[in-house]
Amino acid sequence: MALVDDLRSTLGSDRVRSHPLELIVYDKDAGVTRGEVLAAALPETTQEVAACVRIAAAHGVPVVARGAGTGLAGGSVPAEPALLIVLTRLNQIWEVDEVARTAWVGAGVLNLDLSRATEHLGLHYAPDPSSQAACTVGGNVATNAGGPHCLAEGTTVAHILGVEFVTSDGDVVLLGGKAPDPPGLDLRAVVVGSEGTLGVVTKVLVKLTENPPAVRTLLLTFDSIQAAAATVSGVIAAGIVPAALEMMDQPMVVAVEGFIKAGLPVEAAAVLLAELVGLEEGAAAEAAVVERIATAAGATSVRVAADESERAVLWKARKNAFGAVAQAAPDYYLHDTVVPRTKLVEVMTQIYEIGERNNIRMLNVFHAGDGNLHPLVAYDRREPGMSEKVRAAAEEMVRISVAAGGSLTGEHGVGLEKRDLMGLVFEDVDLDAQARLRDAFDPNGRMNPGKVLPAGARCFDFDLMAGQDGGSS
Amino acid sequence: MQLSLGPTQAQLDSCVTCGLCLPHCPTFRLTGDETASPRGRLTAMGAIAEGAVAADEVYARMLSFCLQCRACEAACPSLVPFGQMMEGARARLARERPTTTGRIRRLLVGKLLNLKWLLALVTSGVGLVQRLGIMRLLPRRMRLARGLRRQRVFPHSAVGVHDVAPAVPAGSVALLAGCVMDQWFPAVHDATRGVLSMAGYKVDSPETQRCCGALAAHEGAERDAARMAERNVTALQGYDYIVSDAAGCSAHLKDYGHWAEGGGSVAARTRDITEFVAELIDTGRLPEVDGDGGEVAIHDPCHLRHAQRIVDAPRKIVRAAGHTPVEIDPDGLCCGAAGLYMVYEPDTAEALGERKREQVEMAGPTTVVSANPGCEIQLRAHLGKGYRVLHPIELYWEALNR
Ligand SMILES: Cc1cc2nc3c(=O)[nH]c(=O)nc-3n(C[C@H](O)[C@H](O)[C@H](O)COP(=O)(O)OP(=O)(O)OC[C@H]3O[C@@H](n4cnc5c(N)ncnc54)[C@H](O)[C@@H]3O)c2cc1C
Ligand code: SF4
Ligand code: SF4
Repeated sequence: MALVDDLRSTLGSDRVRSHPLELIVYDKDAGVTRGEVLAAALPETTQEVAACVRIAAAHGVPVVARGAGTGLAGGSVPAEPALLIVLTRLNQIWEVDEVARTAWVGAGVLNLDLSRATEHLGLHYAPDPSSQAACTVGGNVATNAGGPHCLAEGTTVAHILGVEFVTSDGDVVLLGGKAPDPPGLDLRAVVVGSEGTLGVVTKVLVKLTENPPAVRTLLLTFDSIQAAAATVSGVIAAGIVPAALEMMDQPMVVAVEGFIKAGLPVEAAAVLLAELVGLEEGAAAEAAVVERIATAAGATSVRVAADESERAVLWKARKNAFGAVAQAAPDYYLHDTVVPRTKLVEVMTQIYEIGERNNIRMLNVFHAGDGNLHPLVAYDRREPGMSEKVRAAAEEMVRISVAAGGSLTGEHGVGLEKRDLMGLVFEDVDLDAQARLRDAFDPNGRMNPGKVLPAGARCFDFDLMAGQDGGSS
Repeated sequence: MQLSLGPTQAQLDSCVTCGLCLPHCPTFRLTGDETASPRGRLTAMGAIAEGAVAADEVYARMLSFCLQCRACEAACPSLVPFGQMMEGARARLARERPTTTGRIRRLLVGKLLNLKWLLALVTSGVGLVQRLGIMRLLPRRMRLARGLRRQRVFPHSAVGVHDVAPAVPAGSVALLAGCVMDQWFPAVHDATRGVLSMAGYKVDSPETQRCCGALAAHEGAERDAARMAERNVTALQGYDYIVSDAAGCSAHLKDYGHWAEGGGSVAARTRDITEFVAELIDTGRLPEVDGDGGEVAIHDPCHLRHAQRIVDAPRKIVRAAGHTPVEIDPDGLCCGAAGLYMVYEPDTAEALGERKREQVEMAGPTTVVSANPGCEIQLRAHLGKGYRVLHPIELYWEALNR
């Protein structure tokens, strides 16, 4: 029987998508690349996921996991024709443990839904990617997602205590658990950030965080990027770790204001959104220090959110930044690199310079506190030669960040789009170790093949690799 | 006027596939399926426009499964005009791939809804059935009938009424009577007229007006929708304001710009009754009444909250009526009524209706306000006995007369 028939007889026909139009709908995430999907399956239980993996194996077809498809690196876009396993229907929340502050959640639970479901207990799930209303916890685990509030709280990996996942053989494995330091090798941390290459995550044991008693949210405006960046360095140097510290440049603020109409300062060259949390006195005192540092660095205005609804508007502005870009141009390419905070101004200057030199439109929004840059190029792919130009500029930006002592990806993952740049940050032996780890989990290379690691990552492929452009040497 | 409904290439391009609309979409929430999501529907429209695949029944199904609640539109940071694109896509499909059921639906919303005698006949019939107590014999698809208010056997209509002008009128208002609104919800029109007269407005409900055409537009009956819009542009000329007490109608009147020559003027003068009255309360032209502060649950009709972005107004009116508004749903997810959707997609409508019922029950109050007739019917059908469902303007009018 054909792949689709087998899936249908297991899941029922309404949970298998295989019509050409449906496959087009599924062949892309929030990034720019398209892939070939053979069928999309929508299982509801761990057992059904395992069954799908086994069916794919029986047909010799690779498997790609997909959450909500908000990934920006093409992680859930098949690099070679594959079965897409869509996890959105695994959306149950079990066993919220108020005392231990943990919960078991299905991989398809939406990040924000989890925080909402635990709000009445005074708890929330701390990692808050800007896409948090839409992305799944499983997707967050697979990409080790970060967010504005990860500056103080750490990225996803710091909030995952255990995972249940389906291996390439269709076995169900449980890693980690409620004990803070489970015995043996901590494989849980290996699965976090593995982008679906080790297995399909079906359930996650998350750590919940207490809602802070007091929050201060400040919107600071500056007439230069440098002044804003100096404030970021100053704040961290003063020993304050804000819950969030986010920067947007002028083109970005203008785009967001077009959607949100919240009276954002569209005149300013840069704005900083800072959030201080803690006990009432602590948050207030830290806010005062941030305000003083900003003023000294040349802030032109300081707006303090008066209440929860104003705070919500400011965050809505920040979190809709990427989406708002379409008003500028039909396509966007979003970068995601990390640079040491001390190099922030230097790298930013170079990035603006690359934009100008290539005559491409650039908007910037980023997690300034931890040096995670997201330069965003707005363009129109139908303009001849534009896509190539954008990609070339992208590569240049990654190279600059890495040269400044930074990293390839802050939080969106490597996926397809940065796969061939892995050689910039990793030595051959590192790549080899990663490839071997992957082989241990997935000896037949069936889980999201062609992602994360470049084709020649294994040592024995070196000859093959040497013949290619952008090889690992 | 040459209709240009779209979806145009520029509109299609405005979607950057970020996915931020997904959690706001009721059909995506129910299924978790990208093909039932706003982004998926837009991608499909794009694929059809490009000619990558032919428009077949899978495409038709993807379009018809959409509630047209426009929650995605309100959530979209790229300002993708989803509602208009969906109307255009359905119209195009109706032209290029007509089906029998489609024809019947379009006949119903494009032609039959304008036959007042027919509506009156149906209304009398409903009135009789209600009195005979045989509602439960109706098929499931007709569940909505259980949510109807008690109908008159001899229906009356607001069309053609001209209320007496106050000595110094604050302005003139044309009340859009609507189709089913006029026949099935006369008490809402009475409250609207009473409140507006009290605020000093001269209220007419012009004779020559027709159904606003919203349902026709949603079904892809573009020529009928355009014809109705043209008629109304003429009928509603000369009034300072055009007020509708059905959110679906006020939302559609505000879209008249792309439906008829001169439609922009109608759009500019149109106010939903809730926003109009909330403003009159703000400026002190209408009073805030003392009450017992009893709790009232707020249901946000999609075409009020998402299509018109009116959120505060109904709450303000409830407070001005001496009650305490209670929230039931932070996202304002569709209740499943969605015009005729509850008739031809009974399963989805049922699931969403039950979700709404649970939310209302969790919230507590046994009085619920909804500023749109379809939602009211759906809410009443699902909440059943023990609940009172009414338009916020009725609650306010009651308070004024206490
Ligand atoms: C507007 C916008 C803002 C964003 N902001 C941020 C941000 O602030 N921080 C950030 O880190 N990211 C951000 N992202 C990127 C994206 O939202 C995250 O990468 C998110 O974690 C992806 O979740 P998803 O459910 O959409 O996963 P998908 O996009 O569906 O998949 C992402 C990757 O995870 C894998 N995967 C998904 N589910 C599973 C599973 N159950 N088991 C195994 N593998 C799986 C996929 O194979 C793929 O490799 C943003 C994206 C957008 C569009
Ligand atoms: S939010 Fe807007 S831009 Fe983003 S996917 Fe939805 S429709 Fe497209
Ligand atoms: S109009 Fe409503 S049902 Fe249709 S795609 Fe948008 S949110 Fe979903």
